[in-house]
Amino acid sequence: MATVRLLDAEQAPLLARPFYAKGDPGPIVASLAQVPELLETAMPFISTALGPSAISWRDKELVIVRTSAVLECSYCVATHTAVALDAGLSHQEVRALRGEEDIASAFRDPRELALLAWVGELAGGRGSVPAAVRDGLHAHWEDHEVVELTVVVGATMLLNRLATGLELPVSAGTERRLAAEGLR
Amino acid sequence: MSAVAEAVAEGKLPGRVWMYADYHCNLACTYCLTESAPKAPRRVIGRERMLEIAGEAAELGFTDLGVTGGEPFLLRWLPEALAEMSERLPVLVLTNGTLFTRRRLAELAPLVQRDVAMQISLDRPDPDDNDEMRGPENFRKVVDAVPKLVDKGIKVRIATTVESIEDAELDRLCALHRELGVPDEDHIVRPIVRRGRALDHDLGVVAHQVDVPAELTVTVDGAFWSPFGPTVHDGVVDTDLLITRTTRPLSTAANAMLRLTGELPEGDDVALNIR
Ligand code: SF4
Repeated sequence: MATVRLLDAEQAPLLARPFYAKGDPGPIVASLAQVPELLETAMPFISTALGPSAISWRDKELVIVRTSAVLECSYCVATHTAVALDAGLSHQEVRALRGEEDIASAFRDPRELALLAWVGELAGGRGSVPAAVRDGLHAHWEDHEVVELTVVVGATMLLNRLATGLELPVSAGTERRLAAEGLR
Repeated sequence: MSAVAEAVAEGKLPGRVWMYADYHCNLACTYCLTESAPKAPRRVIGRERMLEIAGEAAELGFTDLGVTGGEPFLLRWLPEALAEMSERLPVLVLTNGTLFTRRRLAELAPLVQRDVAMQISLDRPDPDDNDEMRGPENFRKVVDAVPKLVDKGIKVRIATTVESIEDAELDRLCALHRELGVPDEDHIVRPIVRRGRALDHDLGVVAHQVDVPAELTVTVDGAFWSPFGPTVHDGVVDTDLLITRTTRPLSTAANAMLRLTGELPEGDDVALNIR
């Protein structure tokens, strides 16, 4: 159970109603709806940061699942495990991102390894990212990609803290999917 | 001219800004939208905040202020605050009219000669019928207070809130309010709205956004579409007509409200005569 009231469609504030138009919008929207003006500006930002863009779906899910695992956000790890499978990641890759297996044995592409090393430092470290890790990222990724990846990490961390702080419940559908995949 | 002033001038936005002074009440009416009662959480908005809203509303181009509750006159500082607010814009204050003992009437001195009108609830021309939903002695106290307020030079309106009323009964009620010194143009009859305690008693009409006028309403919990918005059910404030939590500056809420009024379909809104 979440620590705050999650607003259902009947109690959806006026500015929040469009987010309920296609049915249950999930607990992130249902909690942010408590402050409609925040929901109204946060969701377009989150959708742009985490939705389809110049960064591939696979790469985005690498970043999101890894960041969520580093921040130990059970809601985001569960929810994005399902999304990562949809994006084509293997079970072994997902387990490695979640910290259940060695990253170096699940991933071989130097570009992805550089990205994951950097995500670990940016999301989990304090202060600056060590120079070697930073330079490793820049060796494989363009500036605009680095900017976007940084925003993806930041947006994911925002959601991680929101979901953890408010104890948002994982949907029953996701729970069932993860159980069926052996990834609970 | 501000966007609000323009919308008000063009008749696209009603000019009144409402504020909920409090949520507690000396009564506990069967159809109360806010589950008000003597021990209900008070949610008092505060004198300073009310004055601030009055000032901001005037600057934004609103034309009138409304104060409701709960029972606003449980707040002893209210008369002075209303008088001060009326220096910015005319004020209409809703009250159950049952608190006006001789001492309380004397405390209304600041309102004399001010642009402050009171809207007092009176539902039926017979004491027992009236008091059935509003509680014992309600009728007697109201009928006692109204002429005294009128004598003081305070403008009084009567609001009748009913499921339905027969013509003959309404005629007797109108004869009564005239006798008390309130003319026909200051008597409104409106339906019970199915929110708050009315919902539990299966009373009233269901009101959606389009059924109630878009009158910006400020409470401790945020800004709402109408004074029928920040109702309470099972102790929780309803959010279906919430606009923004931000009320300071008032322009944040007012601009969101303007945007929402622009999204409504054209036509004969406020169809339920809820006001
Ligand atoms: S309807 Fe008005 S008078 Fe009756 S309990 Fe509610 S706030 Fe008080």
